[in-house]
Amino acid sequence: MTTETYQAPDSVSGLQTKGIGTAVLGLLLTGAGFAMAGLDRFYEAYLVAYVFWVGVSLGSLALLMVHHLSGGAWGVVIRRPLEAATRTLPLMAVLFLPIVAGMGHLYHWTHADAVAADPIMQAKEAYLNAPFFLARQVFYFACWIVMATLLNRWSAEQDRTGDPALAVKMARLSGGGLLVFGLTVTFAAVDWTMSVNPHWFSTIWGMLYMVGQGLSALAFVIAVLVMLSTVPPLDRVVNASHLHDLGKLLFAFLMLWAYLSFSQFIIIYSANLAEEIPHYLVRSAGGWQWVGWSLVLLHFALPYGLLLARDTKRNFNRLRVIAMWVVVIRLLDYYWHVAPEFHTTGLSVTLVDVALPIALGGIFVAVFAAQLKGRPLLPLQDPGLAKALTHHTH
Amino acid sequence: MAQQGHMQAGSTAVLDEPVLGPGQNYETITESVAQIPLSSRTPLGWVFGFLIGLGGLMMLQMAIGWLLLRGVGIWGNNVPVGWAFDIINFVWWIGIGHAGTLISAILLLFKQQWRMSISRFAEAMTIFAVACAALFPLLHTGRPWLAAYWLFPYPNTMGLWPQFRSPLIWDVFAVSTYATVSVVFWIVGLIPDLATMRDRAVSKVKKHVFGVLALGWRGSARHWHRYEVATLILAGLSTPLVLSVHTVVSFDFAVSVLPGWHATIFPPYFVAGAIYSGFAMVLTLAIPIRAAYGLEHLITMKHIDNMAKVMLATALIVGYGYVMEAFFAWYSAAPYERYMMFNRMTGPYGWTYWLLIFVNIGLVQLLWLRSVRYNTKLLFVLSLIFNVGMWLERFVIIVTSLHRDFLPSSWDMYYPTRWDFMMFFGTIGLFLTLFFLFIRFVPMIAMFEVRTLLPEAKVHVDHGPTGGH
Repeated sequence: MTTETYQAPDSVSGLQTKGIGTAVLGLLLTGAGFAMAGLDRFYEAYLVAYVFWVGVSLGSLALLMVHHLSGGAWGVVIRRPLEAATRTLPLMAVLFLPIVAGMGHLYHWTHADAVAADPIMQAKEAYLNAPFFLARQVFYFACWIVMATLLNRWSAEQDRTGDPALAVKMARLSGGGLLVFGLTVTFAAVDWTMSVNPHWFSTIWGMLYMVGQGLSALAFVIAVLVMLSTVPPLDRVVNASHLHDLGKLLFAFLMLWAYLSFSQFIIIYSANLAEEIPHYLVRSAGGWQWVGWSLVLLHFALPYGLLLARDTKRNFNRLRVIAMWVVVIRLLDYYWHVAPEFHTTGLSVTLVDVALPIALGGIFVAVFAAQLKGRPLLPLQDPGLAKALTHHTH
Repeated sequence: MAQQGHMQAGSTAVLDEPVLGPGQNYETITESVAQIPLSSRTPLGWVFGFLIGLGGLMMLQMAIGWLLLRGVGIWGNNVPVGWAFDIINFVWWIGIGHAGTLISAILLLFKQQWRMSISRFAEAMTIFAVACAALFPLLHTGRPWLAAYWLFPYPNTMGLWPQFRSPLIWDVFAVSTYATVSVVFWIVGLIPDLATMRDRAVSKVKKHVFGVLALGWRGSARHWHRYEVATLILAGLSTPLVLSVHTVVSFDFAVSVLPGWHATIFPPYFVAGAIYSGFAMVLTLAIPIRAAYGLEHLITMKHIDNMAKVMLATALIVGYGYVMEAFFAWYSAAPYERYMMFNRMTGPYGWTYWLLIFVNIGLVQLLWLRSVRYNTKLLFVLSLIFNVGMWLERFVIIVTSLHRDFLPSSWDMYYPTRWDFMMFFGTIGLFLTLFFLFIRFVPMIAMFEVRTLLPEAKVHVDHGPTGGH
């Protein structure tokens, strides 16, 4: 096969430096924002920023497992960025601690007096209570980190030995792993964002998070891949056909996200039930409606319209711009899930809402880049590598 | 274990596994498919199967005749269960159709070569399933001959319009679009093969009939070019239909306020269930057909294996849906939601719920085992059971939610009558009749597509410097 080692170019170190710089800037801004707005706003913004960035790690884990099951050139070329993103999960577990510290600010159901006065919260107390909440978080992160660690370890071993049994092992883990992923992400989504309003519920919420995370992760790794494809060694590897496949996948994820979001809306809107409709009543007034319309236009219609064209998907720069746009606009979706619950009277944005996603993003990207450069940029002994290198579609 | 290691000696080795049996060429493929409709000898097994289907069709005619004479009162539907077999069977049949569309449209766009040998009869299955499905809502209106102005918005002198906010009217549009696109897609896909049949037919009548149906296809480069464009456009049109039709069907329930029906998970979970049951039906049909007509070299074990994997994946989504329904019924803390789930599990219809869980969450896990996916006899039996499971799912959703709703004083039981069963089994008869006619008179595998899988059909082009090697 090939003797190429696909070492990461200097631009990855550059990305790491940029990440650190962004993190410092973000933290400074966060400090200023915190001084201006106080602790409540800090935790609210932190929850949104955290759920957004952990979504990139988790989505990467899911896409990686899908690739191990399905194979295909699209997955071979992004496998290393995906793996690097999953290796940020231990960091993400640490970054969850501020949410633990802020539980009292974020979750109404942690207050015994509030629960005592509210029969609905009492009825859910077996699930929504602090010890069980914390135990669940430990369990989720344990599941995710174990799966990510095993897949990364076997992947490194595959680079060294090329043992065909490893591909089988990874595929096996991924089959059951996706099942575990689906259930853990669902309950994590209930814990993190749905329980911000302990009265509200929607059975599609977990799926919305799985697809949203897949979308964030895919857009993120596409942006990374295009960056890598401009310089050696990947400039000779990544071609328009790879991007075309990834662009189609991005397009499919966008549609799936829109489909699930719209399904939730139309069902709750039509039934107009007292238990559910407050979710959209709050979000249809006080300026929040503009966030909603922005999601329709900027999160769906705009990237959808652009990605329809075959030329866009095969054009490196255009696809990168769209992918980066999707990463950014994903934040607005999480903001829409969380922030209106805290500001039911109307839209309210402060500096921390912007600063914290930047700060966490800087940290995430720096650690991601450090992980990415530690290994060859392509899985050297992936059984599909040779085919991926000569991949062509029309 | 050794066997499994061999199977997955590398994930791409599995993907590259040929989708055709060994020793095939243009002639053997064409001959093995084309001789089935062209042969003047009708196999005894076909006659036997066709007669069973025809018997069912006769029963259906009787059931419909009596229904039109006496009205829908002959069914078991009554307050509070005003919707029962009619909608259960409608959803069941519509769901089955989805596998055909997934195979012919989505797998085409994803360039999955294994779709080629099964697409033709899966599409036929779709059309026949939609025909069976459409009967139920139409007959449930009581006076189907008046349904035109109940269902379709046409400017009439009575100033009557359907209720556009009702998902039932969305259903009319969704299903009629689905039926139209499926039929057009199927017929367009048949044209090159009909021309082959015309050219191979010996009898004058057959030559003439196939000739008319082939619409003057001569296989010129221009014909092929237009054919390719048309297929791609039709695949693009069909792809959203795979999601939209069953989504709209799920809206029939989900946009209501009834506990057990109103759940936001319904659209994706219904779509997954539809594909699951559809693939079960494709296997139910493919396994006996490939054995009876000796088509194992075209519908290989790889096809069977892939279909079983799709079934497993979609069944897991369906199982996820059941878990979500149960968890959120509790988490909602709404007494009606909680009672609905409690009643579903422990009420008078509890056995149907647990049977459904046993099949769709329990039994289906067998498909993780390669030895099960490669055992066609077992898989055939399982595919029948899965379809029963999916029928039960609709029964559970519809009947257990309706029979005990908000007002305990109007709670009641629902029991189907013999006419309900005759209608249901009658549509199976209709389906079998149509399907047996299809395999006798139409080439059931897309010969021209399968031929492109042969190594000699591959064209190697040098892509030049832009290719990026």
